[in-house]
Amino acid sequence: MNLSLLSHELLVLALGLGLLLVDLWLPVPAKRKLGYVAAAGVGLILLYSLFCVQLPASSPVQYAFGQMYALDGLALFFKRFFLLAALIVLLMSVEFADRIASGIAEFYALMLFALSGMLFASSANDFALLFVSLELITVTFYVLTSFQRARVTSLEAGVKYLIIGALSTAFTVYGIALVYGISHTLNFGLLSGVAAQYGDNKIFLFGLALVLVGLGFKIAAFPFQIWAPDVYQGAPTPVTAFLAIGSKAAGFALLLRVLFIAVPDITARWSNLLIIISGVSILYGNLCAIPQRNLKRLLGYSSIAHAGYLLLGVAALSAAGRSAVLYYLSGYLFTVLSAFTVICLALRGVEGEDVGGLAGLHRRSPLLAATMTLAMASLAGIPPLAGFFGKFLLLKAVVEQGPTHPGYYCLTFTALAGVVISLYYYFGVVRAMYWPGEAADLSPIVVSKPIRLTLYGCIGGMLYLGLFPNGLLEAANQAVKLLR
Amino acid sequence: MNPDFIPWIILFLPLLAAVVIALFTQHDRKLSAGLSVGAVVAGFVLSLVFIKLNGWAPAHEVSVAWLTIGDLQADFGLHFDPLSLLMMLIVTGVASAIHIYSWGYMSEDRSLPRYFACLSLFTFSMLGIVLANNFLQLFIFWELVGVSSYLLIGFWFERPAAADAGKKAFITNRLGDFGFLLGILTAWAWFGSLNFAEVNKGVADWKGEHWLLTVAGLLIFCGAMGKSAQFPLHVWLPDAMEGPTPVSALIHAATMVAAGVYMLCRVFFIFTPDALTVIAWIGGFTALLSAVIAVQQDDIKRILAYSTLSQLGYMVMAVGLHGPTQAMFHLTTHAFFKALLFLGAGSVILAVHHEQDIWKMGGLRTKMPVTFWTFMVGTLALAGVPPFSGFYSKDGILAQAAQHSLPLFVVGAVVAALTTFYMFRLVFVAFLGKSRSEAAGHAQESPPVMVWPLRILAFFSVVGGLIGIEELYGTQLATEHTEHAVSFGQQLIGPFIHAPLAVGVGLLAVVIGYAAAYALYAKAAKDPLPEKLGALSRAMRNRFYFDELYQATVIRFHDFLAAAADWFDRCVIAGVGVRGTHGTTELAGRALRLLQTGNLQTYAFIFALGVALVLYMVLS
Repeated sequence: MNLSLLSHELLVLALGLGLLLVDLWLPVPAKRKLGYVAAAGVGLILLYSLFCVQLPASSPVQYAFGQMYALDGLALFFKRFFLLAALIVLLMSVEFADRIASGIAEFYALMLFALSGMLFASSANDFALLFVSLELITVTFYVLTSFQRARVTSLEAGVKYLIIGALSTAFTVYGIALVYGISHTLNFGLLSGVAAQYGDNKIFLFGLALVLVGLGFKIAAFPFQIWAPDVYQGAPTPVTAFLAIGSKAAGFALLLRVLFIAVPDITARWSNLLIIISGVSILYGNLCAIPQRNLKRLLGYSSIAHAGYLLLGVAALSAAGRSAVLYYLSGYLFTVLSAFTVICLALRGVEGEDVGGLAGLHRRSPLLAATMTLAMASLAGIPPLAGFFGKFLLLKAVVEQGPTHPGYYCLTFTALAGVVISLYYYFGVVRAMYWPGEAADLSPIVVSKPIRLTLYGCIGGMLYLGLFPNGLLEAANQAVKLLR
Repeated sequence: MNPDFIPWIILFLPLLAAVVIALFTQHDRKLSAGLSVGAVVAGFVLSLVFIKLNGWAPAHEVSVAWLTIGDLQADFGLHFDPLSLLMMLIVTGVASAIHIYSWGYMSEDRSLPRYFACLSLFTFSMLGIVLANNFLQLFIFWELVGVSSYLLIGFWFERPAAADAGKKAFITNRLGDFGFLLGILTAWAWFGSLNFAEVNKGVADWKGEHWLLTVAGLLIFCGAMGKSAQFPLHVWLPDAMEGPTPVSALIHAATMVAAGVYMLCRVFFIFTPDALTVIAWIGGFTALLSAVIAVQQDDIKRILAYSTLSQLGYMVMAVGLHGPTQAMFHLTTHAFFKALLFLGAGSVILAVHHEQDIWKMGGLRTKMPVTFWTFMVGTLALAGVPPFSGFYSKDGILAQAAQHSLPLFVVGAVVAALTTFYMFRLVFVAFLGKSRSEAAGHAQESPPVMVWPLRILAFFSVVGGLIGIEELYGTQLATEHTEHAVSFGQQLIGPFIHAPLAVGVGLLAVVIGYAAAYALYAKAAKDPLPEKLGALSRAMRNRFYFDELYQATVIRFHDFLAAAADWFDRCVIAGVGVRGTHGTTELAGRALRLLQTGNLQTYAFIFALGVALVLYMVLS
């Protein structure tokens, strides 16, 4: 057993517990600032991860807890990804703190615990750890979603998330039991050796399919997307942001591990299933987003569509597709977090987060308006932003698979149609900012220094990933090397 | 020190002035005007300095690589030879006089900074044409000149007539430029280069079909037809008089419209004898047509505009008659006396409170003596009376015509007579006799800032023929034997010795024209010609109905095409294509939304259905 491999998780947990302890002695007005402490702590851990943690070239995978926990390139990539996402979300939470009646320190701590769950998920090499990390994330999000206890919509969202989530968990754990019953192992490494011989075992496949249901719920892919719009709309904005990026990425980390480490031989036969799920998610998310007026709900649908885009890379069943998933997620991080940061600041006090509340934003705060415009353009996939290059990589991976299966061409076409549809509602948001119908509230919005820096960082990230893709692409290629 | 850097400064100073005025000094009228005037005067002085240091010859060029696309290497370069250097001097010199004059003429206008920004932009573009060493650069500046001309014609855009005239000028020019661009592309395709020297070499080594070269030459001539307003693209120039009068003087008389002729001389090597014949006849026809129309115009600026057309026709004809030297010589003298005439007209127009009808003037000689006498000098020069400059340049063209083509010689002589006739008609009616309106009665001489440019231009209009300009062009352009006069006296009487026939006919034409004008207009209270000529006069007044003809054919056809395209766009593309797709998509979105009931039981049910679907797909 090698505890040092778990350094990320342990540090984050210690930070979260420390926050809870400090909370006991701190006067109420100062508690809000704890978010900065949490963010700084996460930032330090990120720096530690970037500069002090390296995988020895001799053993690219290191195991702990009897091979339940694996530290490899993929795990490290996702850990840094989650740390960065949490850092931005925590800064956003400080801005949001005045809208949370009590227990702000717990709010921060819960975010850190969810983060630790994501960190564990990125290293899961065993169905047991998969389940535990999944639940650690989901349960903390149940609480976080309903944290604005005075708001009925927040409570409603929490309850819906809880019940649908419990349902999905039930399916997942049943599926794991079936897989174990047939193969007598929960470990991905051992499973990959024996999975091929169970390829025609209906009970084994039944179990695996149920595990997929649980992961499909996490990433909000069709047909398990039904909760997403309601929960995105009801949850406090930073929680929605974390849900949109952290929870979704954790789902993808696990999905990649299950599909391409545990049962690659079976996955190879599932191209039809993946193509359909991906294509329908894209169409469903984009079509439903068209009539939305609530911005968070709109982004909820958009996140369903993006789960579909990301599944393109999974469905391609190739190394290029998998690295494209990682690349797209990285661009999505900057894009989505900047969009939610703008919502958090600009729609303060706007009932129902109506798109109309953005009216005249370019006068109230040019920075916010510019950020939102760039974020929408990146989501829609306009060059030279990250979203464009990510979509390009995903589609390229799918088209490359075209000769093996005509379905890939249909999928490409569907994805392109989805992109075109999405332009309509993304630019509807931009139009609402710059060309409002009637005179709006034009009081300037104060943007605090940390948030300003965050936004600059996000804009920089969107542009950098769109213009200079090579560095990250190389890292992504390295990260997915051990998947097959 | 190599002085080659100086022309770069001359070229870019006006652009700098335009940019600074447009971006920073819009609010400061004095500073804006000062910047613009300063830039062009400095350009003139620097031109003199450069010619002093460099001399007129030898021809050479400096260039920097601008962009490389495939095997097309586009340079940005400057070409120095007597042709471009003298032209540079003319442009900066005449532009200086007109910039200064504008300061007085436009002083009351509230958009004065915009005016000077456009004027500086024009100067920059014109210098770019003059100094260009390749077709691409020439074309870019060619278009820039078109743009600045558009901006200046439509300067008083509140007046619909001015806005329309700007559009008309621009679009008509674009028609010619389309052919020009085709010609340039042809040259590039055949010779693999756009540099003048290399194209010249390519033409000399041309082994292909002869008529191909003729086509290329005529395509390039299309550009000149647009800019220099040759028939049938001549219709824009008279309308361009809607712009401020100094603009008419600078752009639509002295420089821009001459750019076509300059371009023809610059690329003279590309024209085959067949192409030259076409060019000569188009020039001759334009000269005759416009001179006839000018006889029955009443607007002082329009008379001068048609006169400009006619003189441009002369120059183009000279090019077509293997006489680029004579063309450039006439271009130079014309730049002086036509700018002078326009500025004089501007002075008159200002004095009579923006009245342009010559029949409402009269008796201005005593009230505006300087304007009158300088205008008189311009008139004599234009008519071709010795020893004014116009005599020498016009005589050169007539001599060239006598040598190459008798019909064109006759055309030239008739045009010379008509020119004298309509110019003296203008002088008799506008300046002599009694005042015919109250405004004319109270007219006063213009301020010194306007009068001095008149005096300077008048001086050059007198001596322009005798200061060796023709010889300078001749050293470079002469395709045939050119005489070198050795002394001033010989220069003065040169034409009488070399081409007595041309001189005789030319002088006879002047005398006939003057006599006719005197007989008809010296004492006339209203125009006697309409009664005498009847329908012909009406046709002349209406410019032979060219505008109406184009309206009925070209524009009608164009409107039909536009209406058809509009219908297609509205009904097929927007209606079926866009709105159909949009409607279907939106409907699908709204329908799918119904799934999202918000009811938890429904959600759980849908979730379970999804699970069943996945299981079915995995297990089947």
